Amino acid sequence: MPDGMKISHEELERDGFSQNPFFHCLVAEVPPQHRTKEGYTLVGYALYFYTYSTWEGRSLYMEDFYVMPEFRGKGIGKALISNVARIGKEHQCVRLNFSVLSWNTPAINFYLNKGAQDLTTSDGWHCFRFDREALDKLAEEAVKQ
Amino acid sequence: VKITQRDLEQDGFSKNPFFQAIIAEVPEQHRSKEGHCKVGYALYFFAYSSWKGRSVYMEDLYVMSEYRGKGIGKALMSKIAQLGLAAGCKQLNFAVPNWNKPSVDFSLRQGCWNVTSDLGYHCMRCEGPALESLARGEAKH
Repeated sequence: MPDGMKISHEELERDGFSQNPFFHCLVAEVPPQHRTKEGYTLVGYALYFYTYSTWEGRSLYMEDFYVMPEFRGKGIGKALISNVARIGKEHQCVRLNFSVLSWNTPAINFYLNKGAQDLTTSDGWHCFRFDREALDKLAEEAVKQ
Repeated sequence: VKITQRDLEQDGFSKNPFFQAIIAEVPEQHRSKEGHCKVGYALYFFAYSSWKGRSVYMEDLYVMSEYRGKGIGKALMSKIAQLGLAAGCKQLNFAVPNWNKPSVDFSLRQGCWNVTSDLGYHCMRCEGPALESLARGEAKH
């Protein structure tokens, strides 16, 4: 995993559970008799938010998708992603977008098996990012205008 | 384009809009041959990273070809950065096809970095029949 977590749980609570949340989240829970060694019954989650395409309309972006390693291969991941897709459909979303690291072959195969397309390989789409410092600098230019 | 003007109005201008947009306008004396003063736009929405928090995603950035090279694109992008920071965002993300060299060069000149080249992230998408299947809980065969 790149970097480290830079936000607190207070920030997550504020941003995910206010009136106009920045994100939504589904969790996968197992019955108590299947809990982990450490006692967890929450064993997976999917974090997503609504996005937009001027070509196709409402879409969803799945930012995080995770199942604890000991609970993989049991259909939990598929259930999570299917529910994200179902919720999207209920909100008239026509696309579900997400990213995956090129070296993560199990994940890529998981997604390709479900009919996903790899737009980076097929169409050359690359993701670009301004981090905080570069973002501050870019914003300063707007103030000067 | 698969959506209508009505979709755009409903989705962009309701109480909880799916997107926001800013427009670049030139004075009357610089209007285009067809009489347009609105010569560019940027469409964006708020996104999230569970590591870094709030972010802004720039979905579209467009300047009419005859108005390029004058700083309008940069002004639009800077404005989004400013609006994003004001809303508590820590990142601005967007996508560019890697064969679009003018756009890639423009983007890198503004100080961003290529997440796909540097970290290996691929943009994935599920749509149409595959998305329908997924929503029904079926696997693709």
